[in-house]
Amino acid sequence: MTSNHDNASSKSKVSSPKVKMSNLAKREERLAFRLLLPALLIIAIIAFYPLAQVFYTSFTDRVFASGQETNFIGFDNYQQLLSVHITTLDPVIDEATGEIMIDPETGQKVYERPLDVLPREPSRYREFNQFSLFGNRYVVGATDPSFIQSVSNTITFTVVSVFLELVLGLAIALVVNSKFRFRGSMRAAMLVPWAVITVVSARMWEWMLAPSRIGMFNALFDWMGVIDSPIAFLASGTYQLPAMIAVDVWKTTPFMALLLLAGLQIMPEDIFEAAEIDGAGKIRQFITITLPLLKPAIVVALIFRTLDALRVFDIFQVMLGQSQYSMASYNYFQLIGNRNMGLASAIGVIIFILIFLFAISYIKMLGVDQE
Amino acid sequence: MLKRKWLLGVALLLVLSLVLAAGCGEAEEVVDDDDEIVITVAAGAVGMELELTRDLAEMYSAENEGVRVEVLDTPDMVEDRLGLYLQFFEAGSSEVDVYQIDVIWPGDLAEHFVDLYEHGADEVAGDHFPAIVENNTVDGRLVGIPWFTDAGLLYYRTDLLEKYDLDPPATWDDLEEAAQIIQDGERAENPDFWGFVWQGRAYEGLTCDALEWIASNDGGTIISPEGVITINNPNAIEIVDQAAGWVGTISPDGVTTMAEEESRAVWHAGNAAFMRNWPYAYATSQADDSPVKDLFDVSPLPAGRSGAGAATLGGWQLAVSQYSENPEIAADVALYMASYEGQKYRAVEGTFNPTIMDLYEDAEVLEAAPFFGSLYDVFINAVARPSTVTAPQYSAVSELFYNAVYDVLIGDTNAADAFEELEIDLMDLTGFDAE
Repeated sequence: MTSNHDNASSKSKVSSPKVKMSNLAKREERLAFRLLLPALLIIAIIAFYPLAQVFYTSFTDRVFASGQETNFIGFDNYQQLLSVHITTLDPVIDEATGEIMIDPETGQKVYERPLDVLPREPSRYREFNQFSLFGNRYVVGATDPSFIQSVSNTITFTVVSVFLELVLGLAIALVVNSKFRFRGSMRAAMLVPWAVITVVSARMWEWMLAPSRIGMFNALFDWMGVIDSPIAFLASGTYQLPAMIAVDVWKTTPFMALLLLAGLQIMPEDIFEAAEIDGAGKIRQFITITLPLLKPAIVVALIFRTLDALRVFDIFQVMLGQSQYSMASYNYFQLIGNRNMGLASAIGVIIFILIFLFAISYIKMLGVDQE
Repeated sequence: MLKRKWLLGVALLLVLSLVLAAGCGEAEEVVDDDDEIVITVAAGAVGMELELTRDLAEMYSAENEGVRVEVLDTPDMVEDRLGLYLQFFEAGSSEVDVYQIDVIWPGDLAEHFVDLYEHGADEVAGDHFPAIVENNTVDGRLVGIPWFTDAGLLYYRTDLLEKYDLDPPATWDDLEEAAQIIQDGERAENPDFWGFVWQGRAYEGLTCDALEWIASNDGGTIISPEGVITINNPNAIEIVDQAAGWVGTISPDGVTTMAEEESRAVWHAGNAAFMRNWPYAYATSQADDSPVKDLFDVSPLPAGRSGAGAATLGGWQLAVSQYSENPEIAADVALYMASYEGQKYRAVEGTFNPTIMDLYEDAEVLEAAPFFGSLYDVFINAVARPSTVTAPQYSAVSELFYNAVYDVLIGDTNAADAFEELEIDLMDLTGFDAE
């Protein structure tokens, strides 16, 4: 609508019989508005209405699938999700000696328990984690540590997996872009992981990561003699996120490669030939020609993948269930498991805002709007 | 003027398209009906469940002309199944007529079900275990007809106990010792062998398992029926710490990812000496193609300080949706499936525990599942989860509890700290006092 409008008004400024043209411009504008109206209406119904509904519900205590009365509770849901409290943990003084107590097993200082230090009123803060800074010990408490954890999980997952996918995807794209026999079938084969339904591939990986020799990884490590007893990849906190990242990289690298391949294929051959004649090596060509020309494709691929990774749900839900959440799977848990529709809507809104911020910063940082 | 006409036109178009869309939906259903009434039963698929429900559905359809009973396969995990049901309820959907509901749900979901007393259940309710009927009665309405009951059992390998000259364990300490001996012995030939498998994943099943440990150690039932939070006591702490010691020793590290079917898979392959599971695993383990056929038996779960084992009360009911288009027929289907004949069929074919008392004296049933007779006391004395006293917040209570236990099992904390926090959390959530 705006572009039409701009065109019309700029025309009216240049032309001399001002009154007449501006009438024409107005008519054009009205026509444009009428033509766009159905589309706007449909967008309002299918996009803005549900979004507004979620915003509204996030300010209530609505219970999912229940006839219970709903109350307006203002920002309580957001407060419940986002309240964080940092406080110092003092070392425990041994009453008998008057000195700081030292754990005999680890040789470390013993600190107060977070449970005794974190506030309980009006709502309880639970321990999220602890850290040391300048010799002091601090504890981070949150009213909903699972949510804070889910945000940190999702962001770690997104940054690491998208980075790995970009590197691997670029390598694969470069390989299948060069000419060799069976290139066509190679390109098709490359796409197989992307074509598998996510829930199915999550189940598949669940089996491969099984905590006994049924699982491929444990069988392999056992055969190589690296491990003494099977590793429970999906139960131990150390391996949960890396496992999720591995599944996602395996699955979406082909998609990344495909987008980059499209970018590579439209590159004019003659620039490379000219560079060759000027004596630029392959690495120099890659850095000064391929990468800059590929930038638009990379930006598009990055935006796609980042926004996608931020709302990751299926692999977390299928493989980790209630033991570790992504933002979206925590949202699902609050809605379905706890039937807390108000709180779940607030999570939805927070996810929406986060993704929005990511998108804006990408566009600003990488200068997409100029291209 | 023109503009207004035009706007009106657009609005009309939109309304028309909406009506059309709705009309299409309805038209489809009319075609689908085709003089035949379709009743859909949402049922579980653990072990042989789905197969047996389909059989009963076919039998009903054959006996009642003009009615076709269809079975909807639902997820194994209780949380997932509840999630699916809630989506039907939120939409007020008539797609499912009869729901298979867990023993912990009647309080929470009562508003979505019809009163079966108004559909002929008053004649048969007296045949079922009174405790279960009472559990399913909310404000005088019978929201579900009991279908089968469940109680945790200890499965053990008779051949291996004989080989190592051991008796079925009477206490948790005995179990620990026996499991270690057998595991050490069997490992020489079978590196995948484990002493004891159970349900340690963070889900409702862990609540059941942990409640059994705690109740058997005289540690109460998390929240007493009178509404007092009892979980933070030395006996409960002791036994949960003991259970955490099993992970990685007599039980695989991966036990903390196992639900019923995952632990049964280990047992079924002959890779475990002991298993905690529900009665359904008896029929699958005794199947003709089962590697452990005739090599195992069941007993009550081991005892702790209380001197007697405890079994968590499980079990499923059939409830008729408030939103069903044919509640009368749906109720008839539910009562048919939960009838003497229906429960007998499931007991004989799949060792699903009947809720009708007379069936425990039926010769055919006892032949198929001898332990129904010998363990009758276990079934009628099973320990209930605190779902009634905490309704409608039971699922939140259970989530706090199983996550606390799970944190202890994976070694993030110890039971004393975990239960101290849990006590405060439960006080905040329920408003009850602690002991």
